[in-house]
Amino acid sequence: MEQPELLVRFEEVSYIYPHSTRPALRNISLEIRRGEFIGLIGATGAGKTTLCLTLNGIIPQFYGGRFFGRLRVAGMDTLEHPTRQLARHVGMVFQDPESQLVANSVEDEIAFALENLQVPRDEMRARISHVLQAVRLDGYERKHPHELSGGQKQRLAIAAALAMRPTLLVLDEPTSQLDPVGEQEVFSVVGELNRQLGMTVLMAGHAAERLAEYATRIILLSAGELVAVGTPDEIYSQIELLERHHLRPPQIASTFYLIGRAGRPVDRLPVCMRDGLQALDALCGQCELSPSPVTADYTTAEGPAVISVRGLKYTYPDGTQALSGVSLEIREGEYVLIIGQNGAGKTTLIKHFLRLLEPAEGEVLIGGVDTRKFTVGELARRVGYVGQNPDHQIFSATVKDEVSFALRHLGYPAAEIRARTQASLEAVGLLGVEDVHPLALTRGERARVVLAAVLALQPEVIVLDEPTTGQDYQGAKSILDITRELHREGKTVIVVTHHLYMMPGYARRVLVMGRGTLLLDAPIRQAYHQVNVLASTFLEPPQAVLLAREIGKRIGGELPLLTPEEVAACFIGVNAYDRAAESQT
Amino acid sequence: MIGLQRARRDSLLTHLDFRSKLLMIAVISLVAFVWESPVALAAFALATVIASLMTGIEAAYIGRIVRLMMPFYALLLITHGFWNTQQVKILTGRETLTPLFTFPSHWPLVGGGGMSVEGLAYGWAVIFKTIVLMLTLPLVIFTTDVNQMMVGLVRIGVPYRLVFILSSTLRFFPLLFGEAQAIIEAQRLRGLEPGQMGPLQRARVYARIAIPLILGAMVKSQQLEIVLQARAFTGSGERTYLHESRVKMIDWAVILLCLALFIAAMVAYFRAGVGRFAWLIFPPSPTPVSHR
Repeated sequence: MEQPELLVRFEEVSYIYPHSTRPALRNISLEIRRGEFIGLIGATGAGKTTLCLTLNGIIPQFYGGRFFGRLRVAGMDTLEHPTRQLARHVGMVFQDPESQLVANSVEDEIAFALENLQVPRDEMRARISHVLQAVRLDGYERKHPHELSGGQKQRLAIAAALAMRPTLLVLDEPTSQLDPVGEQEVFSVVGELNRQLGMTVLMAGHAAERLAEYATRIILLSAGELVAVGTPDEIYSQIELLERHHLRPPQIASTFYLIGRAGRPVDRLPVCMRDGLQALDALCGQCELSPSPVTADYTTAEGPAVISVRGLKYTYPDGTQALSGVSLEIREGEYVLIIGQNGAGKTTLIKHFLRLLEPAEGEVLIGGVDTRKFTVGELARRVGYVGQNPDHQIFSATVKDEVSFALRHLGYPAAEIRARTQASLEAVGLLGVEDVHPLALTRGERARVVLAAVLALQPEVIVLDEPTTGQDYQGAKSILDITRELHREGKTVIVVTHHLYMMPGYARRVLVMGRGTLLLDAPIRQAYHQVNVLASTFLEPPQAVLLAREIGKRIGGELPLLTPEEVAACFIGVNAYDRAAESQT
Repeated sequence: MIGLQRARRDSLLTHLDFRSKLLMIAVISLVAFVWESPVALAAFALATVIASLMTGIEAAYIGRIVRLMMPFYALLLITHGFWNTQQVKILTGRETLTPLFTFPSHWPLVGGGGMSVEGLAYGWAVIFKTIVLMLTLPLVIFTTDVNQMMVGLVRIGVPYRLVFILSSTLRFFPLLFGEAQAIIEAQRLRGLEPGQMGPLQRARVYARIAIPLILGAMVKSQQLEIVLQARAFTGSGERTYLHESRVKMIDWAVILLCLALFIAAMVAYFRAGVGRFAWLIFPPSPTPVSHR
């Protein structure tokens, strides 16, 4: 069969940023053909964004630096053709939905590039209408981009790129800041463009499960080097390779890897759910299932309530009813996970714990006292809050100053400031960088600096709002590991996240929110298996949970398992809950 | 907060081309600048307020502007009422001014001095002038789509690069404002109570907002530059526009009306004294009362 036309050819491409000595890309040789969907994976700092930016010549034309080798895109050498020309062939979508929108309405956003390319008005109108249909945003022409959800904004950015009729669509971590609904929206639109219109796609990202499903080829980068190229089956089945490069394989692959490693017959590691179910059928026919007896590893906390919410209602000034009668209690020493789609009311609820919002109806008590009797500052000393974007929470020139910022302003004695700063930095594993500028650290480390600054005030409760968003697997895991330590020390921990697969082994209790109400309040083992409740707030359980449910169907019972290790244990014969307990220690 | 405030109603102004509205601003500003009469300027200010309300600009917004200007207005009334004697004497053609009140002569520094009716009236005239000027701009800006404004400015010869900088500023200012709010909130969540601090300490705490804000703005502007490159932007004026800027019949009518009103106002001012300071309220036969 004739191969599709060659679209991109990297010939030993290396690149060094200005003022740097370390190559961001090293000897990359690679070919991309028309119609491919390439998934570009790698830990933070692997060179994914750099590689994306070489494709339309922004690197090196805009950044400068030293570029070696040769890169041709659609027959054009990226050193010889200006970005303006390359942009006609390479559409780009970036990570941050906010900072890549430049106009004041949806149609103007799409028109902007066309105006630059001097496309006539009538043709512009036709292209706008066409691309808005393609990304399912027709009818939104006059809306301000800020009125769109995160997923819609990214689809708009895709539409703006598509309007230039590129031959290659490059998306740099387009879903890393989106909720699961937004992620699904982006993947389904890009998947359709690739499958139905034959658009060539290169998408960098960490969404292993989705890339395994949509990509035709995966490229693994590490420290600027191309480590492996292959189909999703070939790459995601190399679990040890992925782990070596600090990447997370799809849970389905991890599960069957563990089963196979224990000597059970697994011919080929499945990497997506569809193949996983087939592999499960084959496995069930060949070996006996020995699921562990279901024992509860979570008991309701007995301590006094640190946070009590009674009949809480809140409506924003624009009339949006964000909370409609929420009641709950969080007890001392609990580790609580709050989940739900964007707009479910999670952040609104948390803001009430800190008196950043006041109840329209009902009340919120901290340690039995109405929050209205505290100032925000007083509450902050009891309830520490780490927001999603660490860069909004860093004000100082050194890590040490940042962590001691509040203590100094609150007039603590110098000795105590020193002791608390040291202890906080130690707790988050940042001893040794006291005199470094916080912005010289990685995003994951910056988040830990903010966490240390919050810990310095020794709050009883620590709330982390989306600590895993925008982080790679290692960054997210290191923050969650700290929360587990804090929980062990007796702190009450509340985490809001969309990354459900990260939370088993950390959270014990789950609050599922949807449309301003509390849909479910249950131990994590129950909550993750309430598939319908999760679906009602546009959440999907991790693949391991779905697999456990499939196994349950086959044995005619329910298996409240959460992780690949626990599911694999059904075939290996190890007590799943022992494994769970192990993973928590 | 999303971009600029927009007028809530559809009105004649929302249908006019930006260029005819620019001419309207120029005419209104010139007339307000030339007129000195408190009566004429009060009527002008009232007309501007009514026009603003009719086009859908919120009364709260007008109220906010007036409240913001209050200290300045008080200062105007005091300075003109007490000390603007020579200018109002010339404008009214009077040798002596009408006292509103006089300080007892034994008071130190101000003893024997006082406020004149004419000076106070001049102060009011300046206040009405500022109201007209300050409301005219929003009257035009809030009733114009940003894109129409951009195309209109390009059509009158403003370089596209400058117009783009203007529109980007309008778009990014609210984003930066939002970030500043987030940073202040983050500081409060570190246990700080700016409300309970002394002014110096509070200023020091707030000054720290600048660091993340400037760094954030720099990161954002670099990201924006990359996005612009990826969208084939060069800053060149050689481009097409999705939006049209067309001077329609109604625009021609407004342009002619503005020019006619301007000529009429100037003729009335210079020939008949309409709009001069003394017009209607200070006839040239005052009761002579001594006033220092």
